[in-house]
Amino acid sequence: MRYKDGYDFSYKLSVGQVAWILHRLSGLALMFYLGLHIWVISNLNGGPLAFNKVMELLNSPVFKILEIGLWGVILYHVLNGIRLLLIDFAGGAKYHKQLFWVVFLIVLILTVLGAIPFLHHLGGLK
Amino acid sequence: MKKRFEIFRYNPETDKKPYFKSYEVEVYEGMTLLDALNYIRWEIDGTLTYRRSCRSAICGSCAMKINGRTYLACKTQVIKDIKSDHIKVEPLPGYEIIKDLVVDMDNFFDKLKRTKPYHITHKAPPEKERLQSPEDFKFINEAADCILCGACVSACPSSWAGKDYLGPAALLKAYKFCADTRDEGADERLAIVNDKNGVWRCHYTANCMDACPKDIKITDYIARLRNMLVQNKL
Repeated sequence: MRYKDGYDFSYKLSVGQVAWILHRLSGLALMFYLGLHIWVISNLNGGPLAFNKVMELLNSPVFKILEIGLWGVILYHVLNGIRLLLIDFAGGAKYHKQLFWVVFLIVLILTVLGAIPFLHHLGGLK
Repeated sequence: MKKRFEIFRYNPETDKKPYFKSYEVEVYEGMTLLDALNYIRWEIDGTLTYRRSCRSAICGSCAMKINGRTYLACKTQVIKDIKSDHIKVEPLPGYEIIKDLVVDMDNFFDKLKRTKPYHITHKAPPEKERLQSPEDFKFINEAADCILCGACVSACPSSWAGKDYLGPAALLKAYKFCADTRDEGADERLAIVNDKNGVWRCHYTANCMDACPKDIKITDYIARLRNMLVQNKL
């Protein structure tokens, strides 16, 4: 129970709320990735040796698994963005819950399918 | 069959902090939550305070938070709609609490007034009344069902975060008058809702649609208002 100055903000989570929170979090994750990406590319300034050193780090198993996560985050942000456009322009608000589950299913399937090449690559490293 | 009602109690004159009080009530098929509250007030504890009037989902007085979601007490059947034996009743979230389940709705009606919820016309009135065809009425039929209970605004995360956000009810009202073919004030109203505290603050959480006891697709009407704005600019 959270009551502050007579206000209470607790509420049962709904599909729409979850979709919104995930959209915000995936957006933040993408901003973080963008910064990281720029940093990695900026290492080209240091010449081929310095760049290769960074690429070695990025080829470690931890980063390969993080890349699968990045793929999932991008998929969710893009597909939920399309869901929001459908609500905006195509009267999708009436079906927003069904649309979320469609987005969820596609993200799940494509993340798993996309993970296969990453994992192959990971296996090849050993 | 008995069910336990855990009810939010707070009297600012005597209580330092809000607390929950439990009441056991014998429930029957067809009994609404409002019936149960009436039973508690009339038979068990006369100090329980809540708003009620028509008990048939048309006055919009008895909106409250029932097991974590906002809805009308008179439209919630305690056996058919609530499977659990434990029913938690709280005042509408997002409003200042006056006493027990009664909240201060001034903010809600102030926002409603900001959207100019009345017909604006510039032409001279016709001899009898301003007519509307059944086809044109279809645009506003659903939006006109709003009973101003406040459940949607109370369910809206954007409204909790932004005190000045117009909120679903006021935006629905703005749509209703903008879409009315007899009205000529659409431009005035669209200028008001075209604001960071207007339609653009809605993040399509769509809690308002679940909360609406009249099943109005409020989120869809906010999207239509946005479309009106976009088309005006083009």
